[in-house]
Parts: sequence; structure tokens; C-alpha cells
Amino acid sequence: MSDAVIVVALLLTAASATAAVAQRDPARQALVLSVLGSVLAVLFTVLQAPDVGLSQLAVGAALTPLLIMLSVRKVRRRGRTHDAAAKDGAR
Amino acid sequence: MNRLRLVLLAVGGTGLAALLVAACLGLPGFGGRSHPYGARAVHASLTRHTANTIASVNFDQRAYDTLGEMSILFAAVLGCVVLLRQARDEHRAQPQPAEVARPVRRYALIVLPVALVTGLYVVAHGQLSPGGGFQGGVVAATALHLLYLGADYRALERVRPLAVFETSDALAVSTYLVLGAAGVLAGTSFLANTLLPYGTFNTLSSGGTVPLLNAAVGMEVASAVVVLLANFLDQAVEIEEEHGS
Amino acid sequence: MAVNGWILAATVCLGGGGAAALWGVTTGPPARRVVAQNMTTSALCPALLLLSQGYGRPAYVDLALLLALLGPVGTLVFARLLGDDLEGGRPSAWGLTWTAAGLSAVVVAAVCAATGPGRAMVKLLVVGALLIAGNVIASRALSGGFRGVRGG
Repeated sequence: MSDAVIVVALLLTAASATAAVAQRDPARQALVLSVLGSVLAVLFTVLQAPDVGLSQLAVGAALTPLLIMLSVRKVRRRGRTHDAAAKDGAR
Repeated sequence: MNRLRLVLLAVGGTGLAALLVAACLGLPGFGGRSHPYGARAVHASLTRHTANTIASVNFDQRAYDTLGEMSILFAAVLGCVVLLRQARDEHRAQPQPAEVARPVRRYALIVLPVALVTGLYVVAHGQLSPGGGFQGGVVAATALHLLYLGADYRALERVRPLAVFETSDALAVSTYLVLGAAGVLAGTSFLANTLLPYGTFNTLSSGGTVPLLNAAVGMEVASAVVVLLANFLDQAVEIEEEHGS
Repeated sequence: MAVNGWILAATVCLGGGGAAALWGVTTGPPARRVVAQNMTTSALCPALLLLSQGYGRPAYVDLALLLALLGPVGTLVFARLLGDDLEGGRPSAWGLTWTAAGLSAVVVAAVCAATGPGRAMVKLLVVGALLIAGNVIASRALSGGFRGVRGG
């Protein structure tokens, strides 16, 4: 019985990781990475490693998405400012 | 030129695959009955009255490795602070206030202390249940940022004097080193767990120096994560480049 | 070998909920993706509670506690910082939200009944409250909670 839950967790991890790699846009990738983080934590739990699962949960649930989204916001802001400056310079 | 690179990749990949297969075939069977290292680690952990064997391995038997990991986090955050500091051609704009829906704001303000207490609970119970300094520290630092997510950045800046957190990060690393040096001064080895009494099994005061090292790592990780996020947030929300240069 | 009902329920919860969340987060407009990310917390946290009961290790409830605390925080991150992408269609999935809340309540009640009164049950009730409240508030945040945020 406990083998079945390990197989399910492993399949979910493989699917989420493949989906994360297949995304092209960083913001969408952050969403999939958040799901992957939680699924990984469950995988570590069913393999009887709760300490590692707790670490994964702590980092992957809120911290990693926040860092990625802040970087995306910074890059987009820079893009917008450069466009505005270019328009001003061209006038 | 491209074909040469692909050929090189194929050769290297084949060699790596062959070595990996050979190594995997030589692995011990999955889940056998004899675990020599595991048995000794558990025995040592129980001798020192530490209920969580992982905590005993991390902070007692292999405390030196944890010192290395803590230094890695410290160096990484230091690198981020250096890279993301405000440059000469950038200026700081005032963060704009935000209007967040009432239920969300109330939720953030209620859950913030709960999450902080949970983080401290995880740090304090590191030697008893799954958890420890790293996990609890990250939870406590993330809890603080509920103030940014549920209100706005100015609210967070008010309760987050950055100098205090940078100082406490450095202080926590020094505490870990001092605790280790105490072992040397007492005549045993660096980070030896022989100074404090081992206490009663499965209570908060057990395991010798393990709870103290846990607390030091918890403080270090929480401060480091707050400083890291502060630099990212400043760059994303406040710092802007000068135009027309 | 007797079939452990708790682990079976956890497998169903994990498989069904996880697959649905993954499908939702990889396909469709950003509105649907963010809602699916929110539902991941409500699908995986009951699975962790059932696993802790199935393996007979009450220490695993700490994992469920952390997921119930930090999962909604992750959704709030996306609700606040993905505001531009979500401008078109405000996602509102209240049916899904209340279904997930109901499932969480059922699982928490079952595990509480199996644990019996004491400190462990109080902890389970706290986890359940955080999970349901977080789920509802995160859904509220996604469906228009950050209208007045202009780049903060």
C-alpha cells in the first residue's frame, strides 16, 4: 500500500518538473515551480524524510516564487522605463 | 563547427552514461537490512538524549559541516547585498501606497504572529520533532513579509530596520563559532557536545549543545533571508535608473 | 497485508488533487493557472494529514501546519505581483474554493476523531482553521483583492 503512494508521488514530481522546464515565460514558470516545490515536499514525506520535506516546503512554497516574481517585476519595469526614455529621446 | 560540438557531446555523454550504468549496477540493494552507518548514528543520538536523529547528525556528529553550510548562506547573501546595492546611476523612488482588500489585510495581520510563533516553535523543537534552525528561520522570515504581501512596502520598511538584521546575521554566525570554540577552550575538540548536560530524553532541554546551535542557525537563517528579500524588494519596488544619461 | 485506509485515502487525494492542480497550472489563461496554484495547497495539505495518521507518526502534522501557513502566502505573492497579467480576467472560482474547504474540513474531522482529545487534536484543529481560512482569503485576493496596488 505504501508503495502505491510512493509511485504516485514520483509520477507527480516527474510530471511537474517536465512541465516546469517546458514553460517559456518566467512568471508562468514560477507558478509551476511553486506546485513542484509542494509536490517534492510530499515526495520526501512518503519516503520517510520529514526534515528534508520541511526544508523544501519552507523554501519552495513562498520564498522561491517571491524571488522569481520580484526579478520578473524588476526586468519588466526596466523594459518599460527604457521604452519611455527611447520615446522621449526620439521626440 | 556545430557538428564537432555535437560529436564531442555525444562522446562525452556516452562515456558518462556507461559509467553511470556501471555505478548503478554496483549499488547495494534498495532497502536492505544492514545499515552500519545508520545504526551507529542512531545509537550515538540516543546516547546523547537527542530524540531527532537528524538534528543530532546535523548539529552534533556533523556540526562542522553545518558550519560550512551556514557560511555558504552567509556568503551568498553577502554577494547579493554587494550586487544589488544602489549604484551611482540609480536613485530611490518612494514606494507607492497600496489599497488592499480588507479581508486580505486582516488575514495577513492575524496570520503574521501565528507564523512567527510557528517558526520559533520549529526552531525550538529541532531536537525533538522534524524541523530545526533552518526550517524555522525561513518560516519566521517569510512570516515577516506577510506585511508586504498583505499591506504595502512602507509598512514592512517600518518594522524592518535593515541594520539590525544585518548585525544579527553576523552575530549568529559568531555565536556558532564561539560555541564551537568553547569546546576547544574546555579541553575537548571544536564543536564537541560534551560541555552541557544531556538532559531528559524527549524534552525541550535535551541534547546538550544541539538546542543552542539550533537557535544560532535559526537566527542566522531568518536574518539572512530578511536581508536577501530586502535587497530584492528594494530593487523591484524602489530603485530606478536615471534617464537620459 | 491489511489495506491501510488512511494511506489509500492519502493516495487518492494526492493523485487526484495533484493531477488536477498540475493540469490547471500548465494549461489555459493566467487566471486559471493562479487558481490551480491556490488549489494545490488544499489538495496536498489533507494528503499530508492523512499520511501522518496512516504512518502513525504525529510528527508529520508539522508539515501540514507549515503548508497551511505558507501555501496561502505563496498564492498572495502571485495575486500581488502578477497583477498586470491578471488584468483581463479576474479569476473567481468560488465553487472550487468551497469544495476544497469542505474536503479539508472532512479530512480534519476524520483525523481528529482518530486522534482523540488532547493537545494533538488542538494542533489539528489549528491546522484545519489555517487551511480553510487561507484557502478562502487567497481566493478573495485573487478575485480582486489588489485593485489598488499600482506597482508596489
